[in-house]
Amino acid sequence: MLKIIVCVKAVPDPKEADRLKIDPVTKSIPRLDIQLVLNPLDCHALEAAFQSRRKYGAQVTALSMGPPAAGNVLRECLALGADEGILLTDPAFAGADTYATAFTLASAIRKLGFVDLVLCGMVSSDGSTEWVGAQIAAFLDLPVVTRVSEILEDQGDVWTIKSDYENGYRIVKLKLPAVLTVTREINQPKALSFSGILKARSKQIIEWNLESLDLPAERVGLKGSPTCVSELSNLESRRAVEMLEGTLEEKVDHLIEILTNARAA
Amino acid sequence: MIDFTFSEEQELFRKAAKEFAETRIAPHVPIMEQTNRGWDEVVKELAEAEMFAVTIPEEYGGLGIGYIGRLIALEEIARISVATAMMYQVFGLGIEVFIKFGSEEQKRKYLPKFATGERLPTVAVTEPGGGSDPKGCQTSYTKEDGSYVLNGRKCFITNSHIADVQVVLANDCENSEAYSTFIVEKGMKGFKATHEEHKVGMRGCNTGEIELREVVVLADNILGGEGKGLKVAMTAIGDVGRGGMVGCSLGVQQACLEAAVKFANERVLYGKPISNLQAIQFKIAEMKIDLEAGRLLGYRAAALQDRGERSANEFAVAKYFTTEAAQKAAKMAVDIHGGYGCMEEFPVTRYLRDSFVLGPSAGTSDIMKVIISRWALT
Amino acid sequence: MMAQENAKVFVIAELGMRGTERVTLQLIGKARQLADEIDYGVGVILLGSDLADSEQELIEAGADLVLKGDAETLELYQAELYTAIIVKLVKEYQPEILLLGSTSMGRELAPLLAARLETGLTAHCIDLAINASGILEQRIPAYGGMITIICPIKRPQMATVAEGVFPNPVLDSSRTGNVIPIEIQDGISLRAHTLEIVREELMGISLESAQVIVAGGAGAGDVDGWREITELASVLNAGLGSTRPVVDAGWSDFDSMIGQSGKMVNPDVYIGVGISGDLQHMVGITGPKIMVAVNNDPKSHIFEQVDYGVVEDCRIFVPALVSALKDNKAKPD
Repeated sequence: MLKIIVCVKAVPDPKEADRLKIDPVTKSIPRLDIQLVLNPLDCHALEAAFQSRRKYGAQVTALSMGPPAAGNVLRECLALGADEGILLTDPAFAGADTYATAFTLASAIRKLGFVDLVLCGMVSSDGSTEWVGAQIAAFLDLPVVTRVSEILEDQGDVWTIKSDYENGYRIVKLKLPAVLTVTREINQPKALSFSGILKARSKQIIEWNLESLDLPAERVGLKGSPTCVSELSNLESRRAVEMLEGTLEEKVDHLIEILTNARAA
Repeated sequence: MIDFTFSEEQELFRKAAKEFAETRIAPHVPIMEQTNRGWDEVVKELAEAEMFAVTIPEEYGGLGIGYIGRLIALEEIARISVATAMMYQVFGLGIEVFIKFGSEEQKRKYLPKFATGERLPTVAVTEPGGGSDPKGCQTSYTKEDGSYVLNGRKCFITNSHIADVQVVLANDCENSEAYSTFIVEKGMKGFKATHEEHKVGMRGCNTGEIELREVVVLADNILGGEGKGLKVAMTAIGDVGRGGMVGCSLGVQQACLEAAVKFANERVLYGKPISNLQAIQFKIAEMKIDLEAGRLLGYRAAALQDRGERSANEFAVAKYFTTEAAQKAAKMAVDIHGGYGCMEEFPVTRYLRDSFVLGPSAGTSDIMKVIISRWALT
Repeated sequence: MMAQENAKVFVIAELGMRGTERVTLQLIGKARQLADEIDYGVGVILLGSDLADSEQELIEAGADLVLKGDAETLELYQAELYTAIIVKLVKEYQPEILLLGSTSMGRELAPLLAARLETGLTAHCIDLAINASGILEQRIPAYGGMITIICPIKRPQMATVAEGVFPNPVLDSSRTGNVIPIEIQDGISLRAHTLEIVREELMGISLESAQVIVAGGAGAGDVDGWREITELASVLNAGLGSTRPVVDAGWSDFDSMIGQSGKMVNPDVYIGVGISGDLQHMVGITGPKIMVAVNNDPKSHIFEQVDYGVVEDCRIFVPALVSALKDNKAKPD
């Protein structure tokens, strides 16, 4: 039976996230009451784990580092089908860059003992770096393939993977245990179901903090982050706009005139 | 005393129902509107999403989630398609009479198939001679050698043509005070769905007439005991029927508020979005107040129901309030849209038409007041 | 001290279908500028197979030192092998700064290197500068503004940068540099072994070279609205770009996305349709002489960033524009 960890992240609802703006006066980002949701690509990572479980049998653990409110997102992972959830939460973990985040997650995975597969969404909707999956692999000294779009062969412990690469793809032969970060193309996640939500009642979410992971405070959170933000600034708007007026036809004609003069039309 | 928040699990039910309605029901709405058809597809979607199992106890193949869960699901489905929500709620009514009044044998025979949506039931009470007055029922039965022969006609029945099983209220020919509810199944000789209605709203919701001509059934087909028909029908309509209308109405209210807010924030007049104008703000405030109040009334009644307590009166209040509020909300939303409120591409026109059908379903507003005054006066 | 012995601003070179990737040369050009500010040299790590004298172009772009690994095992990008080699070189040469292109290879290799080197890494920078304390300022757009990130203590300071952020450097054939061959160990077993890389030829007009770009955003409304925008691009013979919401909705794929984590473009004319003017997208566009926006929201942020604005629902405006453009084309001159 495979042991699979899916790293998930609770992110501000992408539909609301563009309300978060740098305040031009305080030069900081005011906290808004935006709901935390499951990072969209993580659903695909979870479904990939479930597909392996359907085929070969597996225990699927959802792992996340976040504030206590991220527990709701883990509960959703259980409802989607994860067997258990682990929340790494501690004020000391706050302010982490990708290095400290990956380090903390990797420590938790190490604590869980042997794993066959670590799955992550390729990128989070708020951080947008694509770093954490690969860095977890580095800390655990596991091989990694990023941007996986298809698993071509998955019998035994040598898999054949297809991943996005520039304008095409690459084929990789991968020996487990390993880390994969996945794209949207890899599967079609199943919808949240009522029976799944009921089954989650008997599943547990374990919380681990700094002490549970037995890590020194300097290696996690803001203190453990090699990068930091030195400045926030606003971008000045750049151009003086001329708004085209008139009826629909007049605006269309005016625009065509502009484009013709610019040799675009 | 009271905790007004939903549990984490209930929030997940809402999320699942919302995603279901937005991804699996919404694509069918245009066809339903244009053709007054398309119900088979949405009923299939409801079945696949385990919606029919919500109130059925686990021991009969259901999920046993209860009535708050049902109300959450109805709200979210109605927000996208009231027609679908209406069919769903009336199937729920059919399911309820079996849960409450079915014999052990009847429950085992029917409920598991209802849970998967393989077979679906409805309740047929209303007739040309009486809906508000159920005793105006002229559908009758006679007893002949241990079997019963049914004759009559029911109208304005939701799911008339698509229900596999109908629970029909009939009057004993030999005793005008006695009513019984009979399980009648599609395919039985003499039983058929006849005329289809074309409603101004809830298009795509199957509504029509059924006819019974010398339909022969056995004693096994009596639901709830001979002579207990009115109790069976009225009890189920009293909470599940009314509760279903609350869900439909709350969905319409929510949809109207969202449409009004979106339009008010985008429509620019006098150099600013009209959401800056107090007249518009006041209409939106009224819609918001009615939605907050309606939700509290509905969920309070559903919570009583989940505890196994009597809730028919509380649901009467909630049904009256929300169906009236939905009609008001739809009109206000249309008004906020100005001229665009008459144009079919704008969903508010559909909400307005849908809202007309909310009032008379499961008891008119005036009947609700009769019931509520009775509650207040005793 | 000779610059090549003091090479401290490093770039990881990447080879593509037609030789050195443009982003590599652009980064070397920028590295040259940064290195001059801190009085250091520029080093480039070049890994591949059958390299001939590909290092020449790197030197002409500004490199003082090229560490060249030429072996059959390096023909295709192999994460474990490239990581092991580069980590060893970095520990030996101790660069202050290490830059990679924000390419598929870069986005996998950079985090692996940063974790192994226990240092910081910033993604998709749109600007780099040396501040008064000699530290690399790495700028990324976020939250409607600009965030400056630094890696004050750990070294090297690492960043990835997309193609098109920095200009193509002027190649100076008179430049010289030192080329040091790297010995590549044989027979390292790879747990992740790239068997094959298939790069497809781009269909249609490449965004990076398009002179006119039509970009569509969430305002397209639905896949039909998106198709109208596609038609507009076609009628104007323009490149077709998109924003993240369009990619998320599945109307177009990631390759068409213009923005900080997508493509950087510099057309002469940019027409944004149904686009809100979100910073993450707008930073992907540099240099256009004319910028036009069509959006149904008069308050939209995009109207502060363009030369010409049209307040109209793009689902109404675009078909009208396409129709009129087609009529014009049909008219005899």
